[in-house]
Amino acid sequence: MITFVAALFVALTGAFGEIAMTHAMKRVGEVRHFSPAAIARFVVRAVLQGWLWIAIALLTVSFFGFLTMLSWYPVSFVMPATSLCYIVGALGAKFLLREKLNFTRWAGIGLIFVGVGLSWSDKAPTMGPLTVGVAVRGTIYLLALVPLALYALGAWAAWQFFRGRTAATAQRVSFAPAVSILKPVRGLDRGAYENFASFCRQDYPEFEIVFAATDEDDPALPVIRQLMRDFPERPIRLLIGTERKGANDKVAKLCRLVKEARHSLVVITDSDVRVAPGYLRSVAALFADPNVGGVTALYRALEAPSFGASLDAIAAAASFAPSALIARTLEGLKFAMGSTLATTRERLEEIGGFEALLDLHSDDYEFGRRIAERGYRVELAPEPVDMQFPSETLGDYLRHELRWVIGIRHIRPGGHFGMIMTHGLFWAVIAALAAPTKALGLAWLGAYLAVRLATAWVVGVRGLGDPVVRRKLWLLPVHDFFAFLTWLASFAVNRIEWRGLVFTLEKGRMIPVSSPPDRG
Amino acid sequence: MTHSTRDLRPKTYAFLFLELLFGTLGNTLFDKGMKEVGALGFLSASQIWAEALRIASNGSMWVGVLCMVLFIVCHMLVLSWADYSFVMPFSAFSYGLVPLFAFFWLGEKVLTARWIGIGLIVAGVALVSTTPPSTTEPAVGEVSLERLK
Repeated sequence: MITFVAALFVALTGAFGEIAMTHAMKRVGEVRHFSPAAIARFVVRAVLQGWLWIAIALLTVSFFGFLTMLSWYPVSFVMPATSLCYIVGALGAKFLLREKLNFTRWAGIGLIFVGVGLSWSDKAPTMGPLTVGVAVRGTIYLLALVPLALYALGAWAAWQFFRGRTAATAQRVSFAPAVSILKPVRGLDRGAYENFASFCRQDYPEFEIVFAATDEDDPALPVIRQLMRDFPERPIRLLIGTERKGANDKVAKLCRLVKEARHSLVVITDSDVRVAPGYLRSVAALFADPNVGGVTALYRALEAPSFGASLDAIAAAASFAPSALIARTLEGLKFAMGSTLATTRERLEEIGGFEALLDLHSDDYEFGRRIAERGYRVELAPEPVDMQFPSETLGDYLRHELRWVIGIRHIRPGGHFGMIMTHGLFWAVIAALAAPTKALGLAWLGAYLAVRLATAWVVGVRGLGDPVVRRKLWLLPVHDFFAFLTWLASFAVNRIEWRGLVFTLEKGRMIPVSSPPDRG
Repeated sequence: MTHSTRDLRPKTYAFLFLELLFGTLGNTLFDKGMKEVGALGFLSASQIWAEALRIASNGSMWVGVLCMVLFIVCHMLVLSWADYSFVMPFSAFSYGLVPLFAFFWLGEKVLTARWIGIGLIVAGVALVSTTPPSTTEPAVGEVSLERLK
């Protein structure tokens, strides 16, 4: 057993070390000249990469483990035993480094792994024969470690982000061009007046707020008119009706809002978002860098009026925020969130305006992806926005989680399948069932709980400052349980329900099932 | 900033060869060195320190370290342009070379199943070598460095 654990440890630390190193080297860039001076310059540039040091730390740990194993067994056993890193490495290359592994490459790596396994099977000096049971259990243990590693990676990415934000904003506050805040609305959210009013109270030199509703009957309209009376000094406009029709009603409103906006910098937020007075300043300041093409924001719950809303808040802080922060750290954001979509008219024109997103389900995701595709950076606002989650039931919560996961399946089928590696509870249960003793089984469940709760606390409480997560962190395993069920269900379901209408998805496009009501 | 596969192959193979050579030499030297040092134990901080000193006083270990430094520089250079999933399988060659070195130099026994395993590894590496060395776009870092020039 100790032999296997040691081999696994060496393989995991080794593979993640190599992946970190590849990332660092790709950031340094291709070396084209090989004079001693050029190589020295390359080495200097490389050592300035933070990722290289993470790689060195991991590889050192791996190497030390390797040395220890060498003192126990002959090298011709130790080398194959640590070769599990080929499988971990290939998965890491695909999902973390975004390398394109075609069938031939997978086949080659598979052959190598089998070859190495054969070398391994002939004898293990003190381990006894390698039985199928031991191999299966080993594989399960290996897989069960992956979600734990991802949780840790998420916490680390959050720590990196939240640590750097204060210094970054302080430097750039002087950049404050005129802004149009655009708000498509449909129906009345909880705390709608306070949500809207928080935008009127921005500490910012020049900005306007433009609302758009589908028709005169919208219950949000009286609230917006009240707002206009209460903040007469703010230029607030209300547009009713959309010119374009598409399956995505919000995008139809955005098309009109952008056309009517007076200023070049537009900041779009969902109607259930509430912000602090410094929000606009910190978002606009990021555009001082001409490489920034879009800004989006993380979000946290204001309060949890129901059980469903608590789960929603935990999902945002413990699943969504870490994955966004990991993506940001590893490859830069290539998506955006409805909590904030900020960009300039020029960038918007480059991606074909919101007209190009009319029928798409995940318009906010696509918006960010297209900005990033044009070579611009999508940045995260330094502070999360507050989200007023509706007083939803468990059923409501599950339905919209399902909608979200189905959306991912259509945008990135590979990533959707890969989500299996993010379900730590599932893997901990499988590992516990495979464990030969009860104590080891409990240890797996304990390890999951400890890592999951600690990392979610770092991201949700320390980083985001989410009051719901602080109080209800213990709901996390419940969330993980439902999240796994939703993920399973997302393979079988293709119908989504959105604000009362039913759609099916085809390649990310929404096809209405019931005919939508007249959009005026 | 796109590279044709043809441009990358010669230098990729050249550095992979050097990497493999230094890596295999280094590993074998470490094996030799550690056998001379004997079994290690890490029970207390003072024991770890004593073990570290014992390892550091072995000549083979030092030559091994030199080989490993050269190995890592070659590895870093290759990874600056090639995929990790392309480079990684090539290092599996050391599974073939290390038993060979162990067989001829250190006199360790190599079993039949292991020879078959080595055959499969070679076939796997051959398959991987038919795929393009780089499938990712250059990272943002490279672009900004180009701009600085």
